[in-house]
Amino acid sequence: MTADGLEVRQSSASVWNSKTELRNLRVVSKLIDTSTCIGCKACEVACQEWNDLHIVPTEQRGTYQTMPTLHANYWNLIQFREREIGPDFAWLLRKDGCMHCADPGCLKACPAPGAIVQYQNGIVDVNPEACIGCRMCETGCPFDIPRYSDQTSKMAKCTLCVDRVQVGLEPACVKSCPTGCLEFGDKTELVAIANARVEQLKQNGFVNAALYDPPGVGGTTVITVLAHGDHPEWYGLPKDPHVPTGVRFWKNALRPLGALAIAGAFFAMVGHYLSFGPKKPKDTKDTQQGEESK
Amino acid sequence: MSGIALRDDTMGDDAIARARHTEDVVVGDEIVRERLSARVVHWTVAVTFFICLFTGLPIWTPYLGFLADLFGGLHVCRVLHPWMGVAFAAASVLMFAQWISQMTLTRADRQFITPKGMLQYFQYRNEDADVGKYNGGQKMLFWAAALGALALLLSGIVMWLPQPIFGQWLRQASYILHDTAFSLFFAMIIGHIYLGTAAEPGTFRSMIRGTVTKSWARLHHPRWYRDVMSQERR
Repeated sequence: MTADGLEVRQSSASVWNSKTELRNLRVVSKLIDTSTCIGCKACEVACQEWNDLHIVPTEQRGTYQTMPTLHANYWNLIQFREREIGPDFAWLLRKDGCMHCADPGCLKACPAPGAIVQYQNGIVDVNPEACIGCRMCETGCPFDIPRYSDQTSKMAKCTLCVDRVQVGLEPACVKSCPTGCLEFGDKTELVAIANARVEQLKQNGFVNAALYDPPGVGGTTVITVLAHGDHPEWYGLPKDPHVPTGVRFWKNALRPLGALAIAGAFFAMVGHYLSFGPKKPKDTKDTQQGEESK
Repeated sequence: MSGIALRDDTMGDDAIARARHTEDVVVGDEIVRERLSARVVHWTVAVTFFICLFTGLPIWTPYLGFLADLFGGLHVCRVLHPWMGVAFAAASVLMFAQWISQMTLTRADRQFITPKGMLQYFQYRNEDADVGKYNGGQKMLFWAAALGALALLLSGIVMWLPQPIFGQWLRQASYILHDTAFSLFFAMIIGHIYLGTAAEPGTFRSMIRGTVTKSWARLHHPRWYRDVMSQERR
């Protein structure tokens, strides 16, 4: 089910014009300030609680990280990374989850009509009823977010609490954050707040601090302040994410070319039949009977 | 042989009885071209191919989404397609084993599959061609189908399994390979069906009844016709 009361900007595998943008609704955003995250995991718990996700067994890998990676039942994961930067030691924390791209690769790759929907407010949501569990969105995503659920045979990921947002509430993770490193609101306002915070970090000695809102995917609804903004990969973020070239080529070029080849073969055969007709032996009496005459 | 025993059975159809186990023999005005096992394998490949095609097309493009209704929806297609792909690959292996010994390209075949040779073939100007039981084009179809089935199987397995096993790059390459192979395969099969039915009357029965008429054999496969007839006279 797509969320009631929200306008759809685009929908996966739509034949023609899936847009319903009649009303002018605000474009939302979630700001993650990694520099003020204390790794308390309140957001992880809030996400599990609000979305009624069953807990899954994890494994101890010698870090504070709850799970090795995201899971169909675990959409919000604080990643803990340790790094030596010059003489200093840095403990880099980042909240991993769907970035809700403006140009979503998952939606591009998805072959099931309406299984992935982008609302006008920027939220990218999976519609489990329409999802066929083909996993193609895994390949479309530059952030390695969608996860296959063995329980439902469908994909699952962060919805940005679309069910809360559509009634004017903030996402559960933002609600629970004790340090205020998570904020939710209009994208333009949050970008301004984020830029101010980046300036502050620069003045505090983090000269490469930056806002991560990658233009390669048209910007993201979830924007991230990074103290070491010149090295997003230190946080596990791709430096310049794009919808994968192979996926774009496959959908934009190869599919029409394939259709052309198939249609070409068909019309070539029709053309051949009209110009040459069936091939028959020279003796026409033979062919009328379809057998040898003697 | 049972075929010979049935020849005297007035209740049966001689040609069909002979076509159960033998090939390249004359029965009245007919020549047995494809024995029963060959036809069964061919149609197994064809049926699995078309199930794969019609379950795959609605996944390929939403414009053909209506085809999913033939099977009960896109969710069914998604489950059916890979398993039918496995069946198609298995049937293709059988077909490959069955015909490979007859599919070596001869010098005449190499002539046949040149652009000039193909043009002559399609313009019906190749009557004197030294064409055996299978012409160069048919042999190329055989090799292309084998290669295509292999490409579809390998790329299909990568697409079927979770991404972490093969990685995002191999996944992308597989989508591209799977789509390319399918498009060319389908285009080729359109040609194959056309040549086997409308373009060359009398051909389709070789895959149903297993026999062709002598006049058909003389027209389309003259060297094979000569070989079979000289065998008969001996």
